[in-house]
Amino acid sequence: MLTRRTLIHALLAATLVVGLAGFSTFAHWYKAWMDEYGPGWHATAWPFLRDGFAPGRAWRNGDVTVYVRPKLGFCANCDTGVVDDSEVDQVTDVDLLDDRFTPVGAGERIRVTDLVGRARLYNIATPAGTRTAWAIAVNYKCDLIVALAVGRLDDATVRHETREFLESNTVQVWLNQQLEGR
Amino acid sequence: MTQQELAIPGFTLRGLAILGLLAATPAAAQQQKIGAPPEAANMRLVGTNDLQARSAYQPTIHHQGDRWIAYIGHHGGTDAVPDPVNPLTGKAEHNGTSIVDVTDPAHPKYLHHIPGQAGKYEGGGAQMVRVCDGKTLPNADRNAVYMLRTFGSEAHEIWNTADPANPVLVTRLGGLKDTHKSWWECDTGIAYLVSGAPDWRVRRMTQIYDLSDPAHPKKIRDFGLPGQEPGATGTVPTELHGPISTGPAGNRVYFGYGTNKGGMLQIVDREKLLKGPPAPTPENLRAPEIARLEMAGWNGAHTTFPMLQMPIAQFAHDKDGGKRDIVMIVDEAILNECGEARQMVWFADVSTEKRPMVVSSYTADETAGNFCQRGGRFGSHSSNESMDPVFYRKMAFIAFFNAGVRALDIRDPYHPKEVGHFIPAITDKTDKRCVTVGGQERCKVAIQTNNVETDARGYIYIVDRANTGLHILELTGPARQAAGLP
Repeated sequence: MLTRRTLIHALLAATLVVGLAGFSTFAHWYKAWMDEYGPGWHATAWPFLRDGFAPGRAWRNGDVTVYVRPKLGFCANCDTGVVDDSEVDQVTDVDLLDDRFTPVGAGERIRVTDLVGRARLYNIATPAGTRTAWAIAVNYKCDLIVALAVGRLDDATVRHETREFLESNTVQVWLNQQLEGR
Repeated sequence: MTQQELAIPGFTLRGLAILGLLAATPAAAQQQKIGAPPEAANMRLVGTNDLQARSAYQPTIHHQGDRWIAYIGHHGGTDAVPDPVNPLTGKAEHNGTSIVDVTDPAHPKYLHHIPGQAGKYEGGGAQMVRVCDGKTLPNADRNAVYMLRTFGSEAHEIWNTADPANPVLVTRLGGLKDTHKSWWECDTGIAYLVSGAPDWRVRRMTQIYDLSDPAHPKKIRDFGLPGQEPGATGTVPTELHGPISTGPAGNRVYFGYGTNKGGMLQIVDREKLLKGPPAPTPENLRAPEIARLEMAGWNGAHTTFPMLQMPIAQFAHDKDGGKRDIVMIVDEAILNECGEARQMVWFADVSTEKRPMVVSSYTADETAGNFCQRGGRFGSHSSNESMDPVFYRKMAFIAFFNAGVRALDIRDPYHPKEVGHFIPAITDKTDKRCVTVGGQERCKVAIQTNNVETDARGYIYIVDRANTGLHILELTGPARQAAGLP
């Protein structure tokens, strides 16, 4: 026959277990929610079909998504790198989002860490309407590294934040792994 | 004895066995060494020339009077030797075009070097070369021999090489942002020049010229894929590598696009191409196209070599389709030590032109030579392009970088079969090829057989991208029998 004290202890223990389990579940859910929707950059799935180049990585921060990948051996000129806008049109992945992309004016020279190249803004048609994409191509010797950001990239502040993210350890460590052997 | 105790010696024995196998594989033994003999099967070295240690691309062998002359295009120089010294002049010269008398293939004689554009590797030189006799061109000087070459990325040039030791510049077509692997019909003079017109969206497209009188070139039109033309927006289609025309008789031009990615064979009606409206509108660019064969994303098309009306022994008794139109498509490997998907050879049956279909493929056996570990590139680059009957529709020769040249019996293109190979020995001239491992540069020295051509006598000429020079070969044994040579 269980005493009243034992029953209370058992009830408290059960409550504690249920509470801990609930907290753990909430913590997991909260972390997942923060990873998905919280502030800062979060990894997201690479959405594009397989093509001639290895798949890249994608990250999202609010309504800005950035897609990054190296294109090994793709640089037309290993010494000069990417120097004109037609090459940005040709080598970046902007056509994966919209093969009828429209440039918004001339591109500009860009430096990401110690790599230099060219960046250009585009209007692209998406199911959600017209969006702005910012395509970047820089070279490392004879390899290209291309990045494509989609969102409010017509805002210079957003472009600046995106470039800072491209220079962050999150992206650079992964990129260096991809360029191993090159 | 416990199971655990049994497992340990078992593992040890397996480990020893694996180590033993590794030691016995060709990996260690086949790292090339200076002084070691070439590796060969059913092919024999006849003669060689070091081409002044210049990185070599296209060889073209021309029967010129009673002589046989090899014209060899070069890439730019290297970091170590940007401008090799020409012993004939005593001067350092930008890599350009070598002219070699190969009448006696055992003793090739270097006649002349025409310097090319300043610049290293693909950034300089004069890599492409084609040759036509004045007597076959409709409106040319009958006593002249014309050599069409690229001048780096800047221009196309035509030289009169009637005296191959003293070539004379005839014509220059400049103002370009790139050039590459052109084609010239010697019986009509029509030239398909792979160029970078400044206003086009790609480095490499086609400028078609009438060069029947090389002294007075006539532009016919610019050509490329819709989307590459000036003013286009959106996706830029893969750039051109090179075309091959069958001339008026075949009325087809086979364009190869891409290098090691996004390749495509485009079949074009030559008559419509030459006589269609020349303005580069999407409609006009689309009009002469008959069909496309889009390749896998990770293969390109360096060479698209047509072999039309091939009799297929297996199909000889079939009521239809006993002869097939075949196009051999050769990808180009560009990354050292297998840093990409395998680049190889594809045979496309284009008999029903609107529906071209790949029916077979070939690659050299990587495991037989441990080629991914040898250094430099491994994979295909180019094939011979001579249509002389001695080998045409019977044998194909594929430049396979560190696997040398591979001889294929292609009489049944549905089942191509390797029947011989030759990997030249490296020399003190052979340049290194490097990769970065763990942040450190690691270099190896290996043959990089870049291009290959044949002549009507049955000799095979291979040239090396890593500065080892020219090797003149002949078939032996079963390969020689397969080619029907005495």
